[in-house]
Amino acid sequence: MSHVDDRVVVLGVAESDAHAVANRLIEFQLRELGFAVVNLGVCTPLADFADAVAAHPQARAVVIGSVNGHAVADLRDLPALRGAGRLPCPVVVGGNLTIDPADRPEAKRQLLALGVDHVLDDLTELAPLLLAPPDGAQVPDEVVRA
Amino acid sequence: MPDDTLLRLAPRVGASLPSWREVVAYLRDSGRPTAIDVLRSARATGRPVLQPRCGVGGHEEMLALLRHLDTAAAPGMLSVTIDSHTRLGHFVTAARELRTDPGRLNGYPLVAHGWARGRELTESVRVPLEVRHGSPDARELFASALAAGISSFEGGGIGYNLPYSKDVPLAESLSAWQRVDAVTAALAAEGVVLERELFGTLTAVLVPPSVSLACTLLEAVLATEQGVRSVSIAYPQGGEIHQDVAALRAITLLCERYLPQDTEVFPVLHVFMGVFPRDRAAADALVFHGALTGRLGGATKVITKTRDEAWGIPSAEANALGLITSAVATSPLLDFIRLDEARIAEETAWILTEVAELVEPLLAARDRVAAVCAAFASGALDVPFSASRNARAAVLPARDPGGAIRYLSPGGLPFSASTLRRNRELLADRAGRGDVTDVTGVVADINHFADAIPVRTPEVSQR
Repeated sequence: MSHVDDRVVVLGVAESDAHAVANRLIEFQLRELGFAVVNLGVCTPLADFADAVAAHPQARAVVIGSVNGHAVADLRDLPALRGAGRLPCPVVVGGNLTIDPADRPEAKRQLLALGVDHVLDDLTELAPLLLAPPDGAQVPDEVVRA
Repeated sequence: MPDDTLLRLAPRVGASLPSWREVVAYLRDSGRPTAIDVLRSARATGRPVLQPRCGVGGHEEMLALLRHLDTAAAPGMLSVTIDSHTRLGHFVTAARELRTDPGRLNGYPLVAHGWARGRELTESVRVPLEVRHGSPDARELFASALAAGISSFEGGGIGYNLPYSKDVPLAESLSAWQRVDAVTAALAAEGVVLERELFGTLTAVLVPPSVSLACTLLEAVLATEQGVRSVSIAYPQGGEIHQDVAALRAITLLCERYLPQDTEVFPVLHVFMGVFPRDRAAADALVFHGALTGRLGGATKVITKTRDEAWGIPSAEANALGLITSAVATSPLLDFIRLDEARIAEETAWILTEVAELVEPLLAARDRVAAVCAAFASGALDVPFSASRNARAAVLPARDPGGAIRYLSPGGLPFSASTLRRNRELLADRAGRGDVTDVTGVVADINHFADAIPVRTPEVSQR
């Protein structure tokens, strides 16, 4: 997997969320795949993700997990940060986005409207997305889900 | 409480508490049984003490909850589970929540309520109380608990840091808990032996027995350095009964080997702390299975679970039902059960070997606190799925075909070639799941019990 040795992924859990298990599993998986993982861990404010990207401008993506149902609230500052020219790389969000699973499609729509580039429905979607060729246009969300 | 020199609390905190002499007298001379009294008599009977977790924000609501559980389910001990704000030392936030909306607190804010109300809790029930929390620095909470007459206090510098805090240095939490242990020893010299329960449950998800036991053993060694001579070592049910019974039996053997000879040790089982089935009948079965595991493993105490686990904080009724289910599981009705002793003996021997490989290099160090900190920094000690940055979480556990928890990746743990080989061989049969980049298999292992039964309709499973 040496072809991805130079690829940095910034990883973390949304600001209001202290759940570490999926975050550590993703860190483990991406390291095994050869990514350099900058793991900001649980309870990470969006501005900290932006700082990490500023420190690692070659970052391939920012991957934000959220399992406590507050994903939309925790991502609300994304348009402001993007407007200020921060967080230029793709932002990927996954997890249990809402307290009631029935609200998920609406939360997904809101996250995409905030500027999130990919909303993943399952952990297994992450590696294929990150391993896709960076220049080969972004993998459409629908393809990833299928 | 003029023990500021031992706990090193701010003077204003010490001034708000009763005198040391008064605290000692209240704990020692009240005539109520202490936690240690209850544990010692349970050990004599061979039936574990049953204790639920329980805590709500409001004082009257907490009194009602304790009284309900005491009368409805006759536990051996009861808990005062503390809210998250208090755990992190945010006493002002906890006090504000208490004034505005106590229902939002996920536990009892003992420091905000104050020790005098704590004594009302102690006096409201027939059984001793334990404070359960998750504080990396619990000194002020500990002082409040003692003043409240609470004779059992959970936690340690590793187990109450890494699962609960993002970035508290281990040196800080270990140092704070040394202060708690020094006061525990000073109280024992006055004739008040506290229960000090060490939280081996850690991150609660697929914790390999040797990781849990290494962490609690090191905490116990550090406690005995401060003069503590009675410890409860809590281990989380993993779910494979031979491995769990072996781990519980290993607690006594490890303490005989590594602690001062005059140390009293109580093995404690925490009923399964991972992902619970949402189906309430399946959850009841897991509660039962856990309590039975504790009895068969010789646990002096079992911390129970409830059928509401997958749904959030349990109702008082569900909590009482969990205790009753556990009482059946630990009753003489089931004394006919025998396990495969050869299999348990083999598991026990391997657990002792793995723990020795983890702790012996650290026990040889002159400064054991520094050695523990350095080991976590290097990955020579590690906790899977750590919430804290101060453990590397490079260990990846997985279940073998029988459900026992093994090391899929040992990370930086300094295991011998034979230990590594055994773990590898036991996981060799994971059909297509041996690839460490495939997290699907590990996710399935995490959901081992949640996925164990066919999904029924929500209407049925929510009953």
